[in-house]
Amino acid sequence: MLKRLQLLPLIVILMGVAAIATMVPGLHAFAIRDHAIGRAFLYSGAIMFFLTVMLGIVTMGQPSRMRLQGSLLALLVTFVVLPLWLAFPFVAAVPGTPYFDAWFEMISAFTTTGATLWSTPAQLPPSVHLWRALVGWSGGAFILIVAAAILAPLNLGGREVTLGRIPGHGGDGGLYGGGAAGPVRRFLQAAAAVGPAYVLLTAAVWAGLLILGEPALDGLCLSMSSLATSGITCGQDAGIGPSGLAGEGLVYMALALALSRRLMPGSAVTDRTTPLWRDPELRLAAFFLVLVPLVLLARHWVGSLEAETEAKSVTVFRALWGAMFAAMSFLTTTGFISSEWSHATLWSGLTTPGLILLGLAMMGGGVATTAGGVKLLRIYALTRHGQRELERIIHPNSIGGEGQAARRLRREGAYFAWIFFMLFAMSIAGLMLGFSLVGVPFQTSLILAVSALTTTGPLVLVAGPEPVDLAAVSALAKGLVAVGMVLGRIEVLAVVALLSWSEQRR
Amino acid sequence: MKVIICGAGQVGWQIARQLSGEKNDVTIVDVNEDLVRRATEALDVQGVVGFASYPDVLQRAGARDADLIIAATYSDEVNMITCQVAHSVFGVTRKIARLRAQDYLKPAYADLYRENHLSIDVIISPEFEVAEAALQRLAAPATFDSEVFMNGKAQLLGLALTEDCPVLNTPLRQLDSLFPSLRTIVVGVRREGRLFAPDAGDQLFANDSIYAFTHSEDVNRALEIFGKKTKKQERVIIIGGGNVGLAVARALEARSDRIRAKIIEKDRKRAEFAADALERTIVLNGDGMDLDILNEASIDRADVLLAVTDDDKTNILAAVRAKQVGCPMVIALVNDPTLAPLMGPLDIDAYINPRATTVSSILRHIRQGKVRAIYSVGDGEAEMIEAQVLTTSPLAGRLVREIEFPEGVLVGAVMKGDKVVKPTGDLRIETGDVIALFAMAGDVAKVERLLQVSIDFF
Repeated sequence: MLKRLQLLPLIVILMGVAAIATMVPGLHAFAIRDHAIGRAFLYSGAIMFFLTVMLGIVTMGQPSRMRLQGSLLALLVTFVVLPLWLAFPFVAAVPGTPYFDAWFEMISAFTTTGATLWSTPAQLPPSVHLWRALVGWSGGAFILIVAAAILAPLNLGGREVTLGRIPGHGGDGGLYGGGAAGPVRRFLQAAAAVGPAYVLLTAAVWAGLLILGEPALDGLCLSMSSLATSGITCGQDAGIGPSGLAGEGLVYMALALALSRRLMPGSAVTDRTTPLWRDPELRLAAFFLVLVPLVLLARHWVGSLEAETEAKSVTVFRALWGAMFAAMSFLTTTGFISSEWSHATLWSGLTTPGLILLGLAMMGGGVATTAGGVKLLRIYALTRHGQRELERIIHPNSIGGEGQAARRLRREGAYFAWIFFMLFAMSIAGLMLGFSLVGVPFQTSLILAVSALTTTGPLVLVAGPEPVDLAAVSALAKGLVAVGMVLGRIEVLAVVALLSWSEQRR
Repeated sequence: MKVIICGAGQVGWQIARQLSGEKNDVTIVDVNEDLVRRATEALDVQGVVGFASYPDVLQRAGARDADLIIAATYSDEVNMITCQVAHSVFGVTRKIARLRAQDYLKPAYADLYRENHLSIDVIISPEFEVAEAALQRLAAPATFDSEVFMNGKAQLLGLALTEDCPVLNTPLRQLDSLFPSLRTIVVGVRREGRLFAPDAGDQLFANDSIYAFTHSEDVNRALEIFGKKTKKQERVIIIGGGNVGLAVARALEARSDRIRAKIIEKDRKRAEFAADALERTIVLNGDGMDLDILNEASIDRADVLLAVTDDDKTNILAAVRAKQVGCPMVIALVNDPTLAPLMGPLDIDAYINPRATTVSSILRHIRQGKVRAIYSVGDGEAEMIEAQVLTTSPLAGRLVREIEFPEGVLVGAVMKGDKVVKPTGDLRIETGDVIALFAMAGDVAKVERLLQVSIDFF
């Protein structure tokens, strides 16, 4: 089976997976006796499967001369084209939806962004929510696999920081399949390595949520969206339902998986020798996860002093938990909001500090995880580099310690991290410029740009004083958001590497 | 005693010189024919040319009836194997090996050298010994030489007296009445290049170098009395990040008194290695002779500079340069003993001779029995010997004034139980006491007779 699959192009395999995946919302719809929706999913699934088989027969066994660099292009195409394919059952299930909107919805889900055009969840049937969550979950798995199979061997996706090698070059064997293996073979092997843990962890979180009293569908969506950091929910208002604080605690732990690639079994790991508690990403994450809630709490406390509202210790703790959950949720670029989050606002009378959440989302989770943003490892490399430069002002000839790997991280690693950071900042500037051109106000365009590039969809709802209604912006602006999401998902650096590679090839 | 010394390098040569001078039957083994020939010509030793660890070579060197083998070739592995062969094939009872690689020396692996494993009785690590010596110099900054005795309860200090010394032109016997509670004895004086053991009527003059044996608690007081200021060494600059420099920096980091050390190392790779191994110490990559680098290490505010590269001339010049730009105290590592007289004119406060430290630590282990420590003073001109008094010893049960010590021998201190006391004429030496004796080289044999060590051991 695996050998047969290797003969197919990657896109055909993904299309087939998508076709089979329509069974899930289809069967769900039948289960809740929503036959029209169920038929829409199953029929479109059948058509998709049929088309995929035809395509598979045509393309099977064609000798692929695609090298690893070329697979970057395939990746880019996948992120743009596959959502078109995924939008097909969506349009069938929600009649009257413009195909463009459905494509946007799917690209938002597949890039684990989770921004939606349907601001009131009840407008969409539950099975369609399940489809969105499922696509987001598969998108999370996809990026985990791609990070291990394609990005890591090319010194992309964070590996350029640890190794200090030129990004986009190499193909030095990497993790899967050895040097000569084609991208598809690598992809399948990586999928076999990452898949089981990803599925099992999702199932475990779901089971936990069920035990804590969450409804089945909501729990499934929550667990899938936590693992994939997509932030897609099934109807609840970006929050967690009946399972309450315990459920939030469970989701908090599931989100923590996106803080470091080392927490997800089978993912692209280059170094297992340092103990987990010394892992730079986890330490940096812990720092922010402690600091930010305290700052938020202090801010609310000062606010409550001014407003002279009575502070009960329970209120303070609820506000603290809300801030802690928000810090984790936005650092991993997920975007869930704790039900306690609004308590803080009630207590102090201050509005939500959206800018802090924007900053957290830009920082992002760990490299080679489902999280987006600049990524903790790059931030860490930049801070270490800065620290070292300060030392060098005092002692220009001094030598930094901590070993060869740390030195490489501070020198070449920080250099590539800096390039990435600049590309990221320039993409934000470019996107904002684009939004302004199509007539989006400044603040909204900032929020849209950051939320697209960091793949944190729910950010549009909480970052500004009022939620941004995506459905209300023009089609051009939606297109720009979609571009931002794809760029943010496969990382701008990978796109630049792809461009430079095709330039060389000419 | 029949001794085989493997390796005719610096250390091997010096041990051979020392041991052959003490009428031992010494055979020296080395692959280098020239070195062996030079050794046999210059010293009263026999020579064997060959690879030290080959059983055949050891057999030719007379390993069958040897009492002691000292493996001091350049290679750790050869030294280990030599000891193993000497143990397993020839049954040599005492084996001493020099091991340099730090990994072999980790206490965690000390089991390796047990009798039934890789049988080595004593392991000498020159770098470690030198680092120890450097640390001792740092601990007693105003001295040009220092060594710890009696489990750290007593110290031998070498002091160069200047005009500032308040006790010049005072007979030594008056020191007792001036400072009755001071537990310090002047055991040796070097005047115009000649070392002698003073008697009670002798006076001290400016430009004398003296060796004072003192209770550890009285070190600072003794330094004051001899006109030396004591100041805490807080900022240390180490030139050379080799094994010695690194070991010193490590030891300084391990101390609780927050000494700020900086290492200057020329070789980038080595500097990186040192930086990785250390935590607080700042490692600078550059030439220790370069004024810019010295300024970067803020030499003008440093308390002491330690030049411990493997090159004598670099060490001396770097020390001189540091002194010139305002470092109050400079210490240089000098391998070549003939350079020692230059230290005075060059204004280098102290020097460390790795040869002397290594040789004295090897000698300490050779003179087993009840001799607990031996420190070779000057260029082997005298020795400080710490020994336990045995029942058979003529010292036991007698008052200090009754004992007929040879002319060049002085009692530094006596340790009764774990209490160090100053020797006075009325002090009775008892069996089990530990006595520290300063002996001129010519009197060492007589001292050994007094201590009954020779009979006890040989």
